[in-house]
Amino acid sequence: MQIVKEALAGTLESSDLMVKVAPSSDGTLDVVINSEVMRQFGAQIEKVVRETLVRLGVVEGLVVVEDKGALDCAIRARLQTAVMRGADCRDLDWSILS
Amino acid sequence: MQDDFDFFSVDPLVDTGLQGEIRALLAKCGLDYEEGIDVFVVCRPKGRLIACVGLEGNIVKCAAIEPDWRGESLSLKLLGEVVHLAVERGHSHLFLYTAPDNVEFFRGCGFYPLAEVPGYVSLMENTPVGIRSYCNRLKLLRKEGATIGAIVMNANPFTLGHHYLVTQAAAACDWLHVFVVGEDASLISYRDRYALVEQGIRGIEKVTLHPGSQYMVSRATFPAYFFKEKGMVGQCCTAIDLLLFRTYIAPALGVTHRYVGTEPFCPTTRKYNLDMAHWLQEAESTAPAIRVVEIPRITVQGTPVSASEVRRLLHARDFDKIETLVPGATLDLLYDKYRMVSVA
Amino acid sequence: MTLRRSMLFLPGSNAAMLSTAFVYKPDSIMFDLEDAVSLREKDAARLLVFHALGLPVYKDIETVVRINPLSTPFGLKDLEAAVRGGADIIRLPKTDSPEDVHQLETEVERIEVQCGRPQGSTKLMAAIESASGVINALAIATSSPRMIGIALAGFDYVMDMQTERGDGTELFYARCAVLHAARAAGIDAFDVVFSDVNDEAGFLKEVELIKRLGFNGKSLINPRQIELLHNAYAPTEEEVDYARRVVAAARAAEQQGLGVIALNGKMIDAPIVNHARRVLDRAQASGTRK
Repeated sequence: MQIVKEALAGTLESSDLMVKVAPSSDGTLDVVINSEVMRQFGAQIEKVVRETLVRLGVVEGLVVVEDKGALDCAIRARLQTAVMRGADCRDLDWSILS
Repeated sequence: MQDDFDFFSVDPLVDTGLQGEIRALLAKCGLDYEEGIDVFVVCRPKGRLIACVGLEGNIVKCAAIEPDWRGESLSLKLLGEVVHLAVERGHSHLFLYTAPDNVEFFRGCGFYPLAEVPGYVSLMENTPVGIRSYCNRLKLLRKEGATIGAIVMNANPFTLGHHYLVTQAAAACDWLHVFVVGEDASLISYRDRYALVEQGIRGIEKVTLHPGSQYMVSRATFPAYFFKEKGMVGQCCTAIDLLLFRTYIAPALGVTHRYVGTEPFCPTTRKYNLDMAHWLQEAESTAPAIRVVEIPRITVQGTPVSASEVRRLLHARDFDKIETLVPGATLDLLYDKYRMVSVA
Repeated sequence: MTLRRSMLFLPGSNAAMLSTAFVYKPDSIMFDLEDAVSLREKDAARLLVFHALGLPVYKDIETVVRINPLSTPFGLKDLEAAVRGGADIIRLPKTDSPEDVHQLETEVERIEVQCGRPQGSTKLMAAIESASGVINALAIATSSPRMIGIALAGFDYVMDMQTERGDGTELFYARCAVLHAARAAGIDAFDVVFSDVNDEAGFLKEVELIKRLGFNGKSLINPRQIELLHNAYAPTEEEVDYARRVVAAARAAEQQGLGVIALNGKMIDAPIVNHARRVLDRAQASGTRK
């Protein structure tokens, strides 16, 4: 998927996360993660984010994650939602979302 | 369905009843209502307004919550809603001014500190890579040299005085960076002002022209409200602007000197130049000090050349006089496009 | 026997609730994609629920997903998410006729095939929210082998009836109709949400009423209501005692090859035995009434 516009998904509440995506200005994929539990889980969060991006076929863009202690399933869901909104994609391809 | 409160957006100009409630809530929280706000997000369970936050373009203002309801959850929801609304309205990069005590809270809402006037105000933005990205782009335009100068101008419009300033500064530096302030609160539109500057400095060597950015703060967007002693507003606005310049912009380009024209008449501008010296040179900072150099204004037939004087003459339709103060391109534009405009 | 006393409603857009609701131990959890979710968040909630359904903790609780009506732009996508995500039951809102169910069933079948889910594994629940729905309750209840229950949804129903929620008089006929339809069809019947979470006495009064009427369970919007409901549905010591003896008598009769079950000289027939089994199930789930 190609991120063509800025988009946002999620909330700032506990156990959730807010994900912002934006088109890339220079063809790179920039992933920025901020979490209350950065030290303990920062690496895990990044792993889930990058894996999800790979499955979605996102190779460029800016992805900013503001994590509030969300489970992996919420991270996947919010990220997929933000990317789909940013890619202006309505049709769900379940093979890349599972 | 459960304990969730409904948040909804309000146009204060349309819904005057709610505007009144918002004013009351803001007053209760020690804030003033800001006239320029485009839309508010409010929380109003059972007909009672308990929280609101406003958006003016891409600036978050007037965030207030009833004291009884101040808890994590409501505040986070409120901020979350306004951020979503802003994106819907095409503003995903948001700025926010707040008292330094609230910085921690807004950090939790995804805002990152940019600059702070201790004890008065902090400016924040809602991305960790905003200023960083901007400075990375600036670094690509960095030039080497011992003396790197900068001028920040509104150029409303570009005059012979501006031309003189740029010429003098460029001659004194290894390289000069000129910024045209982006805010469209000026008489002449940003596009026109920038075009006039570009034309006007053609031929002057060792100059890079930069478009303005969100990181050059103007009075137009700076909130007045949370200063009880109103006298502090202008100073805080200036301070934030200069702190951003010194902390981020100047280091990215290696700027060592900042050039301004002297101000013989306008006390506000004179004060601004003094503040500039304070924040760029004298104030404590981890960023290197920047020398402020004042270049005396040129005069034409005894009149110091200033943009404000040109605007006054425009109002009076005195194009003969204007012609003596501005380059040809400026004169042409003023005559063609702005001659019927009334100047405040 | 699957106990469905408590069905906890969760807004599908709330990540925190979806992550933590299993701790409350209702008999079933309903992830709502319909009324609890704003238009803006429909897509987000759909994906949250899809992923939450896969959490190991939800394998042991019966999961229900309330999709948007198929006539909306959201319904079909919701259904895909729910079936593929592994929801046990799909709750169809605003079911007015058996045709609504058939339409749903066709789509469910298709999705099961496409995603490799065992055919028939996705069950259905119809929510009746209008006068038409009430009148068609029996036809709806018998419209599909996948149908495990029908629920009365109070809010929309009273609006359709041009009245308001009150002391229950306004639901009188609807409750009875839904209940009879469910019983005749051999499926479960569920009662409406009690929305005043602070009115414990009122809630208990309503639970007492619907239990007497014979409802299998009730939709809940607050976890606090779960224990109250389970306790109200819990049998008394005497009821449990009696139930044990009934079941024992039935077992003895079976072992002896007798066609008739007797207890205390009286004949016990199948409905009594089934009832006794239900009592014991409830007792096992939540003990006896405190």
